[in-house]
Amino acid sequence: MNRFALLSLYRSLTRHKLYATLNVGGLAVGIAVFLVLGLYARFETSYEKWLPRHDRVYVAQTVWNLPESPFNGAYPYTMGGLLEQLREDFPGVVGTRIRGGRNGGTVIRGGVATSADIAQVDASFFDVFDLPMVRGSGSALRQPANVLISETLARRYFGTSDPIGQTLTIAVDKAVNYRVAGVFRDLPANSDFRISVLVPLPAAPPSEQWFHWGSSSLQTFLRFDTPQAARAFEQKLPPFVDRRGLADMGKDASRIQQIKLLPLTRMHLEPAGSESASAKITVVTLAIVGLLTLLVAIVNYVNLATARANVRAREVAMRKVLGADRLALVRQFLGEAVLTVGVAALLGLILAELSLPLVNAAGGLSLTIPYALVVPALMALTLVVGLLAGFYPALLLSRYPAASVLASARSPGGGRVGTRVREGLVVLQFGLAIAFMVGTAVLVAQTRHVRQSDLGFQREGLMMLLSTRDSLVGADRTRMIAAAIRELPSVRSAAIGNNAAGGSGEDNADNVPLPGVAGDGPSLRWIITGPDFFKVYGARVLAGRVFDAAHRDDDALARDMASGINIVINRQAVSTLGFRSPQEAIGKTVGGKRPRTIIGVVEDMRFFSPRQPNSATYYVYYSQPEKAFTAVVSIRYTGDPRVTMDALRTIWQRSVPQVPFEAATADTQLTKFYEADDRATRLFAIGAGLAVLIGCVGLWGLASYNTQMRIREIGIRKTLGASSADIARLLVGQFLRPVLLANLVAWPLAFVAMRTWLTGFDDHVALSPLFFIGGTAAATVIAVLTVLGQSLRASRAAPAWALRHE
Amino acid sequence: MIRLEQIQRRYVSDEVETTALRDIDLAVSAGEFLAVMGPSGCGKSTLLNTLGTVDRPTSGRYLFGDQDLAAMGEKALARFRGAMLGFVFQSFNLIDELTIEENVALGLAYRANGGDRRTRVSQAMDKVGIAHRARHFPHQLSGGQQQRAAIARAIVGDPKLILADEPTGNLDTANGEQVMNILQALNEEGATIVMVTHSPSHADMARRRIDMLDGRIVASAMRAI
Ligand SMILES: Nc1ncnc2c1ncn2[C@@H]1O[C@H](COP(=O)(O)OP(=O)(O)OP(=O)(O)O)[C@@H](O)[C@H]1O
Ligand SMILES: [Mg+2]
Repeated sequence: MNRFALLSLYRSLTRHKLYATLNVGGLAVGIAVFLVLGLYARFETSYEKWLPRHDRVYVAQTVWNLPESPFNGAYPYTMGGLLEQLREDFPGVVGTRIRGGRNGGTVIRGGVATSADIAQVDASFFDVFDLPMVRGSGSALRQPANVLISETLARRYFGTSDPIGQTLTIAVDKAVNYRVAGVFRDLPANSDFRISVLVPLPAAPPSEQWFHWGSSSLQTFLRFDTPQAARAFEQKLPPFVDRRGLADMGKDASRIQQIKLLPLTRMHLEPAGSESASAKITVVTLAIVGLLTLLVAIVNYVNLATARANVRAREVAMRKVLGADRLALVRQFLGEAVLTVGVAALLGLILAELSLPLVNAAGGLSLTIPYALVVPALMALTLVVGLLAGFYPALLLSRYPAASVLASARSPGGGRVGTRVREGLVVLQFGLAIAFMVGTAVLVAQTRHVRQSDLGFQREGLMMLLSTRDSLVGADRTRMIAAAIRELPSVRSAAIGNNAAGGSGEDNADNVPLPGVAGDGPSLRWIITGPDFFKVYGARVLAGRVFDAAHRDDDALARDMASGINIVINRQAVSTLGFRSPQEAIGKTVGGKRPRTIIGVVEDMRFFSPRQPNSATYYVYYSQPEKAFTAVVSIRYTGDPRVTMDALRTIWQRSVPQVPFEAATADTQLTKFYEADDRATRLFAIGAGLAVLIGCVGLWGLASYNTQMRIREIGIRKTLGASSADIARLLVGQFLRPVLLANLVAWPLAFVAMRTWLTGFDDHVALSPLFFIGGTAAATVIAVLTVLGQSLRASRAAPAWALRHE
Repeated sequence: MIRLEQIQRRYVSDEVETTALRDIDLAVSAGEFLAVMGPSGCGKSTLLNTLGTVDRPTSGRYLFGDQDLAAMGEKALARFRGAMLGFVFQSFNLIDELTIEENVALGLAYRANGGDRRTRVSQAMDKVGIAHRARHFPHQLSGGQQQRAAIARAIVGDPKLILADEPTGNLDTANGEQVMNILQALNEEGATIVMVTHSPSHADMARRRIDMLDGRIVASAMRAI
């Protein structure tokens, strides 16, 4: 590139301001979208990769395979004593357990308890998780009275004074004094571990279920030096499960439960149990959106650049006449293109940096741009796109015989081939844009559907007191607290159960053998309910009746197992248990040795994530539900939730100040289920919107180029009798054809993608043709509006003027 | 057939006013072959464009038969051009993306009733001797061939009036002669032609000649037969 080439590029960009803005701006926006979504995908796939030697760590999964159980699938949890049994059977195995984590216990200071992210771990924790230390060393965990805390916590508790040697009272199962022996660096955002306090697991098993096969209470991590070693170890596990699980699960235990090893870095996106792989799909989808947006922008850029290049044919011909050789011309065009793309890349980077706070807010993220990685990547991109965009015009123009360009009254338009190529690119671009619009519509419809769908209970005016789950509270106090709550003026009713809306309780299932059918029968989820439970939830009774304190038989606590209990089932359980209708189920007894008589059927109440299949459930009644292992109080209130919440807090502080208060409205609890999808939808919509915008910019630019090229033709047609309307139709029609063809690309793409996404939801909207027709209609309208203005202006031009135009 | 009365055409741009036509009174009768001559910039093209209704006079009356064209709307004028007029330009003005045949057929594209389009197109091409190039694109033809194609396009709709603006201006002598011969033959078959030219010998082939200067008609002479 010489001085003249630079000058000519600069002049061409500033002279054709609009063209330059569209061309460079479109590409910049595309690059920004790609950067932001790429950062998001990178963040989501970078979980635990900050950990030194993360590739050697595996999480032990418990994989359930029970007949028709709602719990089937792989979970990253195991029973408490798994590691001990593994160590006995496989000497030399390196691993650690993590019990607790987010709100895993309380720190008691000055008599006040506050929840903290406390984890109990093995002394070998640092052999697996080599957390960077600020003070002290990981080996301190070998002393049972030592505690390690995070930097933030050290600052909060001890300020500027030295934390080492200080005493901290921590309660997990019971309150114990620890000595601070070290400080570790805070865990980064891309970690599923929420740990700010590390204490050694107690020597004695802290729960009676510790060695019970089938229980799951903590996470077990193992370290292997090679993937082969991990795989070899995994092969030895089924016999181990058969041997060790014999007592609790019977013969061939490995048929119903297996232990698998999952690389630690895959844990974050791996679905648990029967959940669909939504997290994975979301990340992949957004990454694809980013890539496609970039592709649209590149297509756009190349398209506009080549279209423009034709206009410059005369310049090229002149340069040839003046003695420029082909190589020099090719160099000039490539250089120009690379330089222009470089400008766009820089702008894209600035745009991404500027929009990151917005995206972080919309997506609940905390992304930052890693310049060390992004800058070289953008440079590579600049080179590739620049060469791509410059290649065609460079070749086309440098090969075009100068004489014919100069002799003809017009520039070469690349002939029909050029027109076809450009049309093809518009088809591709609009195809993606339409697919994006359809996708956005489906996503928005589905997330709204989930938020508004009938959950089988009234979600407004419902609140849960969750802190009663803490074993320190005890049944007596729970009952007293519940009674005090019922007295509150804003509370209409309150009920205790071992689970509640939002799934914040105990989750149990067991097999229900069916009369006359061999085998263990299907596995059903079961929930303990106390008085008024169905009233609080406003459950709809489909047949029979719900539990009633007046029926003494209903109380499962008062009856022994062999004589049977009364149960209420949900709609789903009707068919699972083999009944044709709710009415038919009433009065029937199921359950083999533990007979359960169905007294009522209620509509499905969805306490759990909309991504989890709705499961067959039966409800059991305790007249004293506070005696259940886990108790959650569900409260039906009126008025401002804050008033009721404050009243609950007052009652709580009066009764059990040593346990941190925790309560939430049903809305808050359920929002947890929707958040991830809402976030993804917002990011998708932003990406799709920008992709459509870039597509429009491209179409606009192409239309303006095209109209420019055809002004003389318009004049000719007018002398031949064409009216303005004829001309406008001609010009708009020319762009409508590729836009309509684009549907052939868009519909199958959107259909496959959206069907895949929707199957992740148990309860989802139908993939109606309206979404597709709507997307097409929107794209058509946008396209017409985009080109209509110019077409009308061009069509009204006086023919005499148009004929003089060159 | 045509009467222009007191036609004025002024261009106003950036405070500069140019008067391209002043007080033009002109009558053209059916079957006439009229040549327009004059120095560059005197308003010949403007006059032709006015006759062709692609340029509107600032004031004055334009009667075509008994129709007052000044009173017609844009759409009606477009239909009028399609039905009544044929244009031939100095720079041919063929559409590059269309073949010769398609270019010629374009002359019928904006007519309500084109009759048997195929036959008319091939007849028009035969008439100017370009039929063997029907499938070619304009840039594959010589200038003379392109101009003959442009004439075929102008006559394919059987126009009442053919307007030719320096039709031989971009052609060499031989090709120019050929084009003039075609125009003359068309005139002999009954077509009315108004032609702008810089060549006195071509002007002599017309039956009447007018000279323009600075927007006015300064002389009008019939050719002695
Ligand atoms: N669109 C326009 N805007 C301003 N002035 C114009 C316009 N069109 C023509 N003119 C002016 O009107 C005058 C007549 O122009 P016209 O094109 O009719 O000349 P001409 O006789 O055909 O010349 P030539 O022999 O060079 O073709 C000229 O002075 C020209 O500059
Ligand atoms: Mg002229």
